[in-house]
Amino acid sequence: MKVVPSRSSEWVRPVTPQKPASAIIEIDHVSQVFQTSSRRDHLALSDISLTIEERAFVSILGPSGCGKSTLLYIVGGFVSPTSGAAKMKGKAITGPGPDRGPVFQEFALFPWKTVFGNVMYGPRQQGVRTAEAEAQSLALIEMVGLKGYENFYPKELSGGMKQRVALARTLAYHPEVLLMDEPFGALDAHTRTRLQNDLLNIWERDRKTVLFVTHSVDEAVFLSDKVVMMSKSPGRIRQVIDIDLPRPRRRSELLLDARYQEYVVDIERMFDESDEAGSPP
Amino acid sequence: MMSPADLARRAAPVFACIGLLAIWQIASLALKNDSFPTAIEAIRAIPDILGDKEALINILASLRRMAIGFGVAVLFSIPLGLLMGRSRAVAAFFNPLLMIIYPVPKAALMPIIMLWLGVGDITKTLVIFLGVSLPVIYHSFEGAKAVEEKMLWSGAAMGLSPLQRLVRIVLPAALPEILTGCRTGLVLALITMITSEMIARQSGAGNILFNALDMGQYDTVFAMIIIVGAMGICLDAAFERIRARLVRWSEPQFDLPLSFS
Ligand SMILES: Nc1ncnc2c1ncn2[C@@H]1O[C@H](COP(=O)(O)OP(=O)(O)O)[C@@H](O)[C@H]1O
Ligand SMILES: [Mg+2]
Repeated sequence: MKVVPSRSSEWVRPVTPQKPASAIIEIDHVSQVFQTSSRRDHLALSDISLTIEERAFVSILGPSGCGKSTLLYIVGGFVSPTSGAAKMKGKAITGPGPDRGPVFQEFALFPWKTVFGNVMYGPRQQGVRTAEAEAQSLALIEMVGLKGYENFYPKELSGGMKQRVALARTLAYHPEVLLMDEPFGALDAHTRTRLQNDLLNIWERDRKTVLFVTHSVDEAVFLSDKVVMMSKSPGRIRQVIDIDLPRPRRRSELLLDARYQEYVVDIERMFDESDEAGSPP
Repeated sequence: MMSPADLARRAAPVFACIGLLAIWQIASLALKNDSFPTAIEAIRAIPDILGDKEALINILASLRRMAIGFGVAVLFSIPLGLLMGRSRAVAAFFNPLLMIIYPVPKAALMPIIMLWLGVGDITKTLVIFLGVSLPVIYHSFEGAKAVEEKMLWSGAAMGLSPLQRLVRIVLPAALPEILTGCRTGLVLALITMITSEMIARQSGAGNILFNALDMGQYDTVFAMIIIVGAMGICLDAAFERIRARLVRWSEPQFDLPLSFS
């Protein structure tokens, strides 16, 4: 028997049966040139091609300034590439859309809305019936661990709580792909660890496709199915590494796992080598 | 229950007013100048003015022009400022125009406007409109420019059109700054209201003031100054209440009164 989940229960669906992997996002020979004010053209991304499979958790890892954010913005449709194209489910990306939900390092919450108002924003915009939107939003707020804070304004929340609201706000309109740009970069180490664990727990429920930008090697390995290593000037893909670690993962357990440690060390070594190779004599 | 600090804070403006009136009284007694009545004489003249039907009609006419000039200016200036803040093309077009108008005292334009539109309500309301517009445009522009781009991107991802983003994200995000401009605009409305009536006598609070001056009724002149000042204080206080309510979310601390202790 096949049960079609209703919109409201979509995100609480327990474990999804694994479908054969199919491409959801295709990045095809994308390059990005920025005009710098003083100097000449700056090649931020050079000929990037990458395919992201449905329901995969993919991290883009690289040093600051290698074009990670730019690549994510191109997939989000916030920036259009100088050349090449990005596609979502075979259709060229021409602008932002509710099928791709961003979560930014800067949170970007609406400060004049309460936690509840922020989470309700997307469903309201999409014309979801008020009662249904309210029930969903309350459930999402609870899921990200903010029950009781519904009527707080962003000003009254800590950084970690703000990012939880931002995640709930984005999940509320059911994007097929989550685009996360160093979402935990502004948080202290303890809060970051807790949010990483919680994000994985939430992700396990429906396994949306996630494109996750980070410059932290262990964050990338801990969270991802696949790590895309980038190098700088110009921004290029260096290598794509499959992370073959069992799920569900918990950080405290994984830290002791020899394979996890191996991935982290290997990736860090590769970055060290490229730094040496790339540095001027 | 009011703490002593609260009480002092509330009473301070009253003491300031009493102090000012006392200095006035002493200065006027010392100078013994006909054109400088004592504070008590001026205050005594206030009930005469407020009890006079003619004077009240004049003052209400002033307030009406001010309300219309201010209201139309705000309705015109906020959208313009927001558009300028979000579109370089719009800003590039309007900036030079505003730069030309900015340093010109709006009342100095009155004689010309009077030639075109006469000495009636339209001319005076237009001058008030001009006086209010610039600060409101400027603050709306600055507020819109400062809106975090990622906030707009978040809205775009939810499916908001550019116009919806302007109305539903840029406007509320810039509201604290916009209301700062409106507050300046409100005071300027009062100032231009009086100046316009000084130049085009016919009706209004300014008309009473300057007619009294011509006739040497100095107690009435100073009584009118007090009345206009009081109007300013009341309007500003009322506006501040509304403002504080609308942008409570942006204040650094809720429900924590300013304290100097
Ligand atoms: N809007 C822009 N205008 C000019 N240069 C930009 C712009 N956005 C990014 N860059 C430049 O492109 C490069 C890549 O930026 P970014 O994608 O933010 O890198 P990362 O996220 O990996 O730190 C950097 O050198 C940055 O200075
Ligand atoms: Mg970045």
